[in-house]
Amino acid sequence: MIVSASTTQEQATRPLVASVRDLRVHFESKAGVVHAVDGITFEIRDGETLGLVGETGCGKSVTARSFIRLVPSPPGIYAGGEIDFWSNEARQAQDGPIDLLEISDKDMLKIRGDRIAMIFQDPGKALNPALSIRSQIAEVFYQHRSEEILGSVGPNVPRIVRRAAQQKSNSVERLLLRFPPFRSKVAKLRATVDDLVAQALTETQIANPRKIMDSYPHELSGGMKQRVLIAQALACNPDLLIADEPTTALDVTIQARILELIAELQARLETSVLYISHDLSLVKEICDRVAVMYAGRIVETGTTEEVFANPRHPYTRGLMAAVPSATHQRGQLAAIIGNVPELVEPPPSCHFHTRCPYAVEVCRSIDPDTLSVGSSHTVACFAYESRDLGMPLPTLDW
Amino acid sequence: MTSSITGLGTQEKATAGRAVISLRGVEKHFPIKEGAMQRVVGHVRAVDGVTFDIRPGETVGLVGESGCGKTTLGRCISGLVPPSGGKIYFRLTDADAATLDQIEATPEDRRTKDQLAQLQRIDTDHRIDQLGGKAFRAYRRNCQVVFQDSFSSLNPRQLVKDTVGRPLRIWKEASGQELTEKVVSLLESVGLGRQHLYRYPHQFSGGQRQRISIARALALDPEFIVLDEPTSALDVSVQAQILNLLHELQQERGLTYMFISHDLGVVRLMSDRIAVMYLGKVAEQGTATELFEDPRHPYTEALLAANPDINAETSEMRGLRGAVPDPANPPEGCRFHTRCPVATPICGWEVDDAVAWLGTHETILAGLTDVERRSNFDATLAFGDEAAAAAVAQQVRNGDIPESMKAAMEGFSTSGNKVTLTFKPVGPVELEDVGDGHLTACVLHTSQRDRI
Repeated sequence: MIVSASTTQEQATRPLVASVRDLRVHFESKAGVVHAVDGITFEIRDGETLGLVGETGCGKSVTARSFIRLVPSPPGIYAGGEIDFWSNEARQAQDGPIDLLEISDKDMLKIRGDRIAMIFQDPGKALNPALSIRSQIAEVFYQHRSEEILGSVGPNVPRIVRRAAQQKSNSVERLLLRFPPFRSKVAKLRATVDDLVAQALTETQIANPRKIMDSYPHELSGGMKQRVLIAQALACNPDLLIADEPTTALDVTIQARILELIAELQARLETSVLYISHDLSLVKEICDRVAVMYAGRIVETGTTEEVFANPRHPYTRGLMAAVPSATHQRGQLAAIIGNVPELVEPPPSCHFHTRCPYAVEVCRSIDPDTLSVGSSHTVACFAYESRDLGMPLPTLDW
Repeated sequence: MTSSITGLGTQEKATAGRAVISLRGVEKHFPIKEGAMQRVVGHVRAVDGVTFDIRPGETVGLVGESGCGKTTLGRCISGLVPPSGGKIYFRLTDADAATLDQIEATPEDRRTKDQLAQLQRIDTDHRIDQLGGKAFRAYRRNCQVVFQDSFSSLNPRQLVKDTVGRPLRIWKEASGQELTEKVVSLLESVGLGRQHLYRYPHQFSGGQRQRISIARALALDPEFIVLDEPTSALDVSVQAQILNLLHELQQERGLTYMFISHDLGVVRLMSDRIAVMYLGKVAEQGTATELFEDPRHPYTEALLAANPDINAETSEMRGLRGAVPDPANPPEGCRFHTRCPVATPICGWEVDDAVAWLGTHETILAGLTDVERRSNFDATLAFGDEAAAAAVAQQVRNGDIPESMKAAMEGFSTSGNKVTLTFKPVGPVELEDVGDGHLTACVLHTSQRDRI
């Protein structure tokens, strides 16, 4: 059973965790510049789960990766916009946000995996097959919690041990660390980290974590691997968790367990979650708010109830009607005709006009604005446009 | 076994007097080889005794989690891998099916000469691995496959015209201009056109490639198509297009489908009858409506409960604990009992379950030195010292052991550093009819209920 944390009103007044404004991520290609993310704006508030839904190639994963600057560059280009991020610490100290696209690589290293963590789609690929589970989770602690770990070794830690705790040892140092007086200190260090790793694994309901720690990814099932990844992501208690289709590679029965786990940990650790998925029914089950993406743009946002009870954008409506369910007659699925358009230097237009049954002339020549159609419900469609364009607008039955 | 077959004949659509495909105890075991000599050390039982019929014009859905054997079964039926046991018949008439079942019901050493001759005749006329000449060619033409991954199932170096036209050329159906025209009409029937003839697969989107695969499968106007997860790599909007297309084609050409998928929503929409597979065996089968509205197997219920539904009022998704057991060493009794939320003492609890349960407790099995296994239900665990054995005994007696496992335990004794566990031996749970061709292999719903 997955319960959304709070009511709509309460959420709207919560402090911001992240605010994305007019983000543009482009890719250079032989055919031209691909506008993979083409000016998107959304907010994530403290403790909420925001679902980012869309089909393959709509730019949802690129958006997620932009938060921790994992988009390879080249060919990727951050062509504009900003991602403001408030960590819990910054908020308590009344500091302003930091722009994740502007900060130095060194500062990014501190945030990535610590304040913002990510769970990737395919647990089989996200784990290193050559390293044990122990060392893969321990790395998070060495990278972000080296000071705390060193506290257990005692006062006056030699520099060489300090460097070991930060995983900065060179080969000579590694050799020296095998001998007294460093050996005992390193052993203590390792024992502390082992405890932390075991604790992180226990959090994700892995039975017998000490045994799992010594195994390698290929020895674990898909569900187990995803639990390990969740343990890794939540090890430092991040302020924002980005889950990029965490259950797509899993069977439904395992998927339900993993989602329960994420929801439970989120409630306990009060983490905000950006949940990326192509599965509408899943997003409906677990998210507080939804943003629907199409061809690099957000076409509709709102609370889950608003969007699913009263979808406004033709694309959202089409997407929802295309999910097979008990009420459908065979052969009567409402398919959206056509294919996703090429995103190479798109002209100003509603990107959905090629597939939209209501498209009119204005949709083909002007970018639609995002309009408010409810307390927190917005839609980017000319059907709701109020300004006078001198052209007839489509009549819609909503 | 026989009851399961007659139960299936009651469908409305099953009026043609013959089945397209009939499975009788089909098995596919893959050998596990080890060492320099590639000695066979065991078998992965991917498909382990499946029996059902596919009637003309209907769609049979096959659902289950990954690794349950649904794809392997599809490959056996389409003749891509030979089954290692059991029989697959093509176009078996009802009369022959009845004869066959009658003969199969007789023990092998008591079959009459006449029966053996009849068996021989049915096998050579209908059994796909014994068909020869004309009959085999008819089977090959009439049984086509559409694969899951259209990236790897289309030759990247062949033009669409060659890919779709190849079956026609091999069967010498057409050549030259006539071939091109036939390919065009095939492409048009799947929503593509003449402009796509001279393109390569990489120039198409996923949905279009799947359309090409379907056109290729339709080229020889087959009777039966195995659809192996045809839409699982596609987005929902494109999936809807392909599902609609498949339905249209079925209506137009009177096709028979076997629809393999892990997506319950899709299978429900597309299938007349559904078989739910778990670890190589069919757990439950029945019409789509029956199965979804009145599931009679806890595994089906679990699948339904875990499936997110976009139209559901309340949000409640429940998962299953544990992982799918190793198909090389499937559990005794009902194969689902290790994960079943309503398992009973007669579901097949065995020593492995007890060991797996102990293994979830930290360090308790650390002192295990030797296991003397007399059968899956009876074994002695030896520990390094008496304290370790005592700890295990303590855990079994007072720990949070599942009630049904405890009830199934016939004997439990400790002597020194040894712990002996004995469970009541249980045979496999077979499919049983629970009304109108709805079959289930769960003791809670069948005649075995009284034994609990």
